[in-house]
Amino acid sequence: MNSIAAAIAILLTQWVDVPLPNTPRTPDGKPNLTAPAPKTPDGRPDLTGIWRNPDGRYLNNVAVDGVQVPFQPWAAALYKERQENFSKDRPSGRCLPHGVPDAMLVPATPFKIIQTPPVTLILFENQGRYRQVFTDGRGLPGDAQPTWLGYSIGKWDGDSFVVDTIGFNDQTYLDDGGHPHSDAYHAVERFRRHDFGHMDMEITIDDPKAYTKPWSVTIHFVLFPDNELMESVCENEQDAKHMVGK
Amino acid sequence: MHFPGMIGVLLLGSFLSVGPTVRIASVHRFAIFLLPAGPPTPQWANLPLANTPRTADGKPNLTAPAARTADGKPDLSGVWRVATGKYLQNIAADVGEAPFQPAAAAVYKQRADALGKGRPSERCIPHGIPDAMLVRNSPFKIVQTPGVVVILYEEFNHYRQIFTDGRGFPPETSPSWFGYSIGKWEGDTLVVDTIGFNDQSWLDDPGHPHSEALRVTERFKRADFGHMNVQITFDDPKAYTKPWSAAIPFDLFADTELIESICENERDHGHMVGK
Repeated sequence: MNSIAAAIAILLTQWVDVPLPNTPRTPDGKPNLTAPAPKTPDGRPDLTGIWRNPDGRYLNNVAVDGVQVPFQPWAAALYKERQENFSKDRPSGRCLPHGVPDAMLVPATPFKIIQTPPVTLILFENQGRYRQVFTDGRGLPGDAQPTWLGYSIGKWDGDSFVVDTIGFNDQTYLDDGGHPHSDAYHAVERFRRHDFGHMDMEITIDDPKAYTKPWSVTIHFVLFPDNELMESVCENEQDAKHMVGK
Repeated sequence: MHFPGMIGVLLLGSFLSVGPTVRIASVHRFAIFLLPAGPPTPQWANLPLANTPRTADGKPNLTAPAARTADGKPDLSGVWRVATGKYLQNIAADVGEAPFQPAAAAVYKQRADALGKGRPSERCIPHGIPDAMLVRNSPFKIVQTPGVVVILYEEFNHYRQIFTDGRGFPPETSPSWFGYSIGKWEGDTLVVDTIGFNDQSWLDDPGHPHSEALRVTERFKRADFGHMNVQITFDDPKAYTKPWSAAIPFDLFADTELIESICENERDHGHMVGK
């Protein structure tokens, strides 16, 4: 979704107001976003909740905070081409999945984390798709099939949830602006919930075919309280004809 | 499974006999499907899962008692798939013939006469409820948590949430493919009520229709570690003269994991044959 479509979606979308239990509140009854982060029974931070990056800062350029992206030459050329054609060919234009982290960057479509002992689910409102992050002790598969959202395992490093993902195809864009990756892409995401309403995710993009060295960005998410995901099924090229590009 | 250069005409039944760990990518079912040469088919991983009761030879013990959550409820979590293809072919198999309203009977006849061509999944938009659970080659995973039960469908990488945190239905629901579901426990049975459907999804592959007035009640009961039954009642006075039900058995798909299965945008649409 480009920024114009995102803006339209914001105007059109009405999330329901669902006052959720276990939400700390200020005296006026509003969610207290600076209350301490919840913990699971085993003492881990509980990332469960609906999140979004509210200002869309990273959607069009995940490196917007000034990272010098260490492109390999072909990746630089591909990025330039996508920039020049306004990313009109990106997969989501054809109802194919947003990638990692792109799927988490769209402010108009929040995502929900459901943390359980053996698996943490990330449910994307966008296109109604999901990721599983396995925490049951399994390793990464030796022969991961190329997929849109990869194969993810997670472990705790202190209060940070560290997610390793491999097994990507080379089709997704890291952001809507079109930072590319190859099928050698290895993503390491470090999720840290600072308090009830705020979570950061530092993502390290390690893809020696596309970039000369790993590079990292940190994305800030805000809890979207008292709410629920809506169904958002991408109806097969419904929007493709509205895409503008060169 | 790989058929270099082969173009054949196959019906669903032949797919179902290919064995437990092989499936055809992007299978379109019921309507006749012309199978072109394609890439090798993905295989589900063999993944010995913790917390799986086992027989003396190390195999999953599918008749061991069902797991329970910390609060004593049955735990439906696991990867499941339908035990029989019968309901995919006819969700009304248990009742003989669905109690159609006349208009719904006509829609059903038209769809059945066209061999199910035109159903939404052809265009990569979702299977319905219960259609999405009826494909033996497309398992689904239940992740049960105290406040929500999530159903992850392998097919199309879609999910469904069933809220068990005590909320009721919202006062207004937008018409949607999977509806809005709330669940509560009656003894050892999870009873799920769903409203808020659009009128586009099909109840099964031949095309039992429904209207936006559809209310689905699903009663999930895990009989033991390896077996679950779901009784599904369809209450849709605009499409059917009275509520009717199907009781569908599911088998645990042990020691494996869902694989990603994205419907790639009409890639197969051109292979559909129908009238």
